[in-house]
Amino acid sequence: MGGLQKKKYESGSATNYISRNKARKKLSLSLADFRRLCILKGIYPHEPKHKKKVNKGSTAQRTFYLLKDIRFLMHEPIVGKFREYKIFVRKLRKAYGKAEWGTAEKLRGNKPGYKLDHIIKERYPTFIDALRDVDDALSMCFLFSTFPRTGKCHVQTIELCRRLSVEWMNYIITLRSLRKVFLSIKGIYYQAEVLGQIITWLVPYQFAHDHPTDVDYRVMATFTELYTTLLGFINFRLYQTLNLVYPPKLDGKGEEESRAESEEDYAMDSERYMEVLLHLFCHSRFSHPCFGSLQEKLFEGLKFFLNREVPRESLAFVLRCFGAQVSWDKSLCIGSTYDVTDETITHHVVDRPSLEKQYINRYYVQPQWVYDCVNARMLLPVEDYFVGVTLPPHLSPFVEEKEGDYVPPEKLKLLALQKGERPEQEEEEEEEDNDDSEEEEDEDQSDDEDELKGMEEKCRVCRPIVLFQASSVKVTPGEAKPVNRQRAEQEAKAEEKRLAVMMMKKRDKYLYDKIMFGKKRSVREANKMSAKRKALDEASKANKKKKLKK
Amino acid sequence: ARNMAAARRHKRVAASQPGFLRLKPDLDHSASRIGHKKRVNKNKKKNWNKYSDIQDVEEFLEDVRLQERATGGLLSDKSDDGLFFVDVGEQKVRPDPGAVEKKGKGLKPLRIDLILQPDSQVPPPKDILAYQQPNARKLRLMAQKAEKLAAMGVLPRRERLLQRRRIPGSEKPVANNDPARAFYDLWRPDQGCDVFSDPPPRWQRPEKLNVKPSLLPAVEVAAPGASYNPDFTSHQALLLEAHETEVAKLKAEEKLARQLAVRKEDLATEESVFREQVEGLIEEEEEKLEAEEDDEGTAVGPTAQTEKKTEKQRKREKADRVKLQKKAERKAIDSRQQLFQLRTISAELRRREQQTSVRRTRRKDQQEREKVQPRRLGKLRFQAPDLDVQLSDELSGSLRTLKPEGSILKDRFKSLQKRNLIEPRERAKFKRKFKVKYVEKREFREIQ
Repeated sequence: MGGLQKKKYESGSATNYISRNKARKKLSLSLADFRRLCILKGIYPHEPKHKKKVNKGSTAQRTFYLLKDIRFLMHEPIVGKFREYKIFVRKLRKAYGKAEWGTAEKLRGNKPGYKLDHIIKERYPTFIDALRDVDDALSMCFLFSTFPRTGKCHVQTIELCRRLSVEWMNYIITLRSLRKVFLSIKGIYYQAEVLGQIITWLVPYQFAHDHPTDVDYRVMATFTELYTTLLGFINFRLYQTLNLVYPPKLDGKGEEESRAESEEDYAMDSERYMEVLLHLFCHSRFSHPCFGSLQEKLFEGLKFFLNREVPRESLAFVLRCFGAQVSWDKSLCIGSTYDVTDETITHHVVDRPSLEKQYINRYYVQPQWVYDCVNARMLLPVEDYFVGVTLPPHLSPFVEEKEGDYVPPEKLKLLALQKGERPEQEEEEEEEDNDDSEEEEDEDQSDDEDELKGMEEKCRVCRPIVLFQASSVKVTPGEAKPVNRQRAEQEAKAEEKRLAVMMMKKRDKYLYDKIMFGKKRSVREANKMSAKRKALDEASKANKKKKLKK
Repeated sequence: ARNMAAARRHKRVAASQPGFLRLKPDLDHSASRIGHKKRVNKNKKKNWNKYSDIQDVEEFLEDVRLQERATGGLLSDKSDDGLFFVDVGEQKVRPDPGAVEKKGKGLKPLRIDLILQPDSQVPPPKDILAYQQPNARKLRLMAQKAEKLAAMGVLPRRERLLQRRRIPGSEKPVANNDPARAFYDLWRPDQGCDVFSDPPPRWQRPEKLNVKPSLLPAVEVAAPGASYNPDFTSHQALLLEAHETEVAKLKAEEKLARQLAVRKEDLATEESVFREQVEGLIEEEEEKLEAEEDDEGTAVGPTAQTEKKTEKQRKREKADRVKLQKKAERKAIDSRQQLFQLRTISAELRRREQQTSVRRTRRKDQQEREKVQPRRLGKLRFQAPDLDVQLSDELSGSLRTLKPEGSILKDRFKSLQKRNLIEPRERAKFKRKFKVKYVEKREFREIQ
């Protein structure tokens, strides 16, 4: 046809996108190198709106990148380093193949490497940008530091991750900015506040875990490479804001102790520095000026001793974040400052079903007490967490209940405690062990009534429990009730509203009913949940009674 | 071919050695071999060495050599006295009276040794020349000066030249993941990075790349039912969620099975089989004949048709013209009447605007939702990870007996995919270019 006609796929979205293989060939990199480059530079594939146009009529599923991004990639100096590395590998393989050991040694000494500093500066031009992205980096670093040092992934990476995570924990301890902790079946979630940013990260448990096979380790290693560099720079800057030396050094006392203990071979020399850093609180002389709030001094003045079977690192971190002194058995790890026989220990954290030898002037608690205190921002009564006692459930501090949602009774108890009221319902329920069945029934009934009333109130509005005393039934002379003006106004308004609703047209009333139905749905669900919970409690009570009768 | 022949010869010679163990123990080995002796031409030089057996001569010569070594001369040449003696029994050995007994202190030093001993008490003089260095002082002063300069930091000329030859980029690069690597303040205003700190504006990072591909948070906290010691309701809620996903999966499987199952109608019954067998054999022939006759009746010649059509055409044209006219009139009337229809027109417009606004809000909501969803970035779709949940009997109330569920590595990997940072990929399968062919070796084929 004529030469001036527009051809298809020559302009528009078809020219803005480029497929992955074409991009790779444009940069002349292998696929693994291309993926690594994209991860390091932060170039992600895009899903175009009209795939058929971009794919030039075909509907095959392809990965597309923006052409401008790939053009930007071509100016990256790291691309040259990747190519150098490829040539280095080829030369090394040839030297080994020809059994030229001298050449191989020389080549290995001059192995090409690259640095990611400029990429970090380009992706995060200000410090606050970097701080926003630090959750991911932290989780990855903590995860890699728990890997076994088998050689599957570079041992140096694991060591670097360990060092960075220890430095971060030290910073949080110094700043005392830990806010929430949640123990899930997957790992431990921490939330802290740093320079106005709320940072959440996930730490795995220290038990051995098997590695899943369908995870791409190369991709994770590349992400870790980027994140370790980022976290290192962030750590440096954070330490600078507190006028601390980076990398953190131990004070004189700490070093002597560490040297003395290293003779007993607690840790390899390479690890000694990090272990000592973590376990000997090296900034003991540092006093942050704004530790005024009660929350930051939660465990101030208390002395804790951790038994062997509790998660030592996590508990030490959490306890130190709130000003406590922590120690453990000497044979476990470097850094135990006092022994189990110390008389001034106030709390001893144990996780066993029973303990033979018990000292008098200390509380023996289970580790959940610490975490629950941190989440509740106050010291909870220790009796619920004694050794051998069935623990109350560990609630998640990350859940915020809106009005009308179901609030579990444990949470309500907690709120009550925070407001300073002690729930007496618990004590009443504990008096079930009476022989007199009538009294039991009465108490049960009153308990049930109270519970029901309480629950109904809770379900309507999220208010703290207003306690009812089991009052005896009798006739008393009437008394004039004072007219509460506010209440009267509210009632008048409610009356007006009801009248207006009655006067609505059928069409409008239909819409209104639909809206109110939707609003009351959450309330109805909460009622259902509370009924279920009540049924469960009753069933457990019945079981208890049966057991007692036996 | 020459190498193969040499190899074969080598093998044959090895096999013919007396102690050689065969793979197949040949039972009638000697009987079969003896009859079939290969006829060899011994006149060829090649075969002089191969097929001539000089073992007996060699043995004899060895024997002769052994005799000469051991006894000095052939045994046959020796006299009887030299080889044999008559054994008369043991005799006491009488000491020879003439021989002098050697004393224990005995062995006096030789005269010549005594003469050669130094007899002077004066020690030999020291050889100064061995310790002399003509310019020792000069060297000492030079060394002191060099030390002083080195302490101040000035290097000798040679070192300076060497260092000047050094190329700045060719120093040993520091590895990226070195655990003892140092960091610095990257965000200081005047801080330059090592490489490429200030690219020209043409090469700077495009603004679009600073937008995150997904608005999901990096770390999503688990549901309260996933606590290691959850409270009843949240645990039940989590179990319900897991249950629903399983139910949905089961339903999908069942639906597939149902769609692929054989329907009852498709099964062959006796009646349908009979009908198929009998098809085309009875009673349909009469109907067929009638149909054929009807077809023959309707055949018409072409000329009559065209005339009708042209009349029709004329009529149609006229009708069209009239229609057009009517349409125009109608249009004129309508445009005049629109003045009186303003209210309905405005109502119509309002309705349409409302529709467009509703559609706009719906499209905006859809866009917002898409910002949070995992996008389709490649061949594979994103598979949501399974919920980590522990059943009621797996729940252990204590931290010590907790068995962690799910792997954080997988969780992070899936989170990266969910936030559109990487595309979901599966492990590359090993594809062979050519099909593998299995062939049995000749020797093994013979084994029954």
